[in-house]
Amino acid sequence: MNRSAPRSIDQYLRQLREELAGSDAALIQDALYDAEEYLRAEVAAHPDKSESDVLELIASTYGAPDEVASAYRDTEVKVKAAMATPRKVAKSKTGAFFGVFLDPRAYTSLFFMLLCMATGIIYFVFAIVGLSLSAGLAVLIIGVPFFLMFMAVGRVVSLAEGRLIEAMTGVRMPRRPVYQGTALGFWASIGAMLRDPRTWTTIAYFVLMLPIGITYFVTAVVGLCVSLSFIAVPIVTFLAHIGWLGMGGVEIFSHAHPKWLFDSGLAIPMFGVAGVLLLTSLMHLARGIGRLHALFAKSMLVARTASGAPEAAESGAALAAH
Amino acid sequence: MDDSSERKFQKELNGGLVGLVLLAVLAESNEDLYGYEIAKRLAHANDGTSIFKEGTIYPVLRAMSAGNLLTSRIVPSYSGPPRRYYRITEQGRNVLAEWKLIWASTRNFVDRFTETEPLRTGNSS
Repeated sequence: MNRSAPRSIDQYLRQLREELAGSDAALIQDALYDAEEYLRAEVAAHPDKSESDVLELIASTYGAPDEVASAYRDTEVKVKAAMATPRKVAKSKTGAFFGVFLDPRAYTSLFFMLLCMATGIIYFVFAIVGLSLSAGLAVLIIGVPFFLMFMAVGRVVSLAEGRLIEAMTGVRMPRRPVYQGTALGFWASIGAMLRDPRTWTTIAYFVLMLPIGITYFVTAVVGLCVSLSFIAVPIVTFLAHIGWLGMGGVEIFSHAHPKWLFDSGLAIPMFGVAGVLLLTSLMHLARGIGRLHALFAKSMLVARTASGAPEAAESGAALAAH
Repeated sequence: MDDSSERKFQKELNGGLVGLVLLAVLAESNEDLYGYEIAKRLAHANDGTSIFKEGTIYPVLRAMSAGNLLTSRIVPSYSGPPRRYYRITEQGRNVLAEWKLIWASTRNFVDRFTETEPLRTGNSS
């Protein structure tokens, strides 16, 4: 790379961001965070030297931006390969369809759908209470600090949501919060926060999580109830038939239509088959929703406007990460 | 030209060694350490210049933490963003013990061929 060596922390971070352009947005956020921690500590450790003097030596200690960028990319690839459990590739289409039961992501995604109801309510209440109290208190002196506190907690919550999503769906999310820097003054940093589109997409995400969470929860619960009770039909009938289970004289299908089907005795095993198919479809649906939701969360919670990096490359990276 | 081939060789060697050294440093230390501190200890041990580019240890620390070899906690800092302090886990110590054995046998093996005194291979027990 034939470009001028960075002479300030901001320049270094900008070059590092350019070198990482096209990588996963979450990885970029982590790499910038680590670099900033190191560089600020290095500058602070040499109070007698100016920032540009310290930065002059950085390429030989911390590494030039392109070296550091490639270290992050390489490590990420290796770790992903080492941590990923080898997946059996099903040969037949039937195998691929039922193979979803062997995929842990399908179970965790289904659990995530159920959990979204609870987290959705919490996020929604948090966002609405925070916003309305900030607006209401804006006329008083405590309005501004309250809003700052609300946003600070919001960042932590957004990071936690990212960790949860990564655990559940396996999609890479940031492991470090965004560091805003100390260079700006009090009012300037509030202004920067208000102008940052991520502030507003994060709040929008919290609000949207209530309807989304309800939808996921209902889909998961209805899907589980219907498919499991269908599967139960032949089992219960069999148990009643051999006398292990009293049905109280109730004939389940005595009034069911069409009559020829229920009289033929085919209906009962067919319920079982339909239940298994439904349950398998639900697992596929859950896995798909998990992936889609992770992409959605990434677009809302992770900064995509890396200054200087074109928007198209970033969204391409989000797709390629998948 | 020479310089870049040397660097490339060093980089390839470092691949697995960074992890081993980081685990060893954290196992020796009786307090939790953060990235910058570890980087400086490594550089200090080698007369001020680290064999690794210090920027390469952060992703490795993070990877080992994700693999449960290390635990971490965050502490606010005056000089910059909050620091992440790392500590080795029981599992990390076990892995370190294994890696040390592997490293010792690898080093012995390589030494046999690269020692300045020409050694006969094959007559050692």
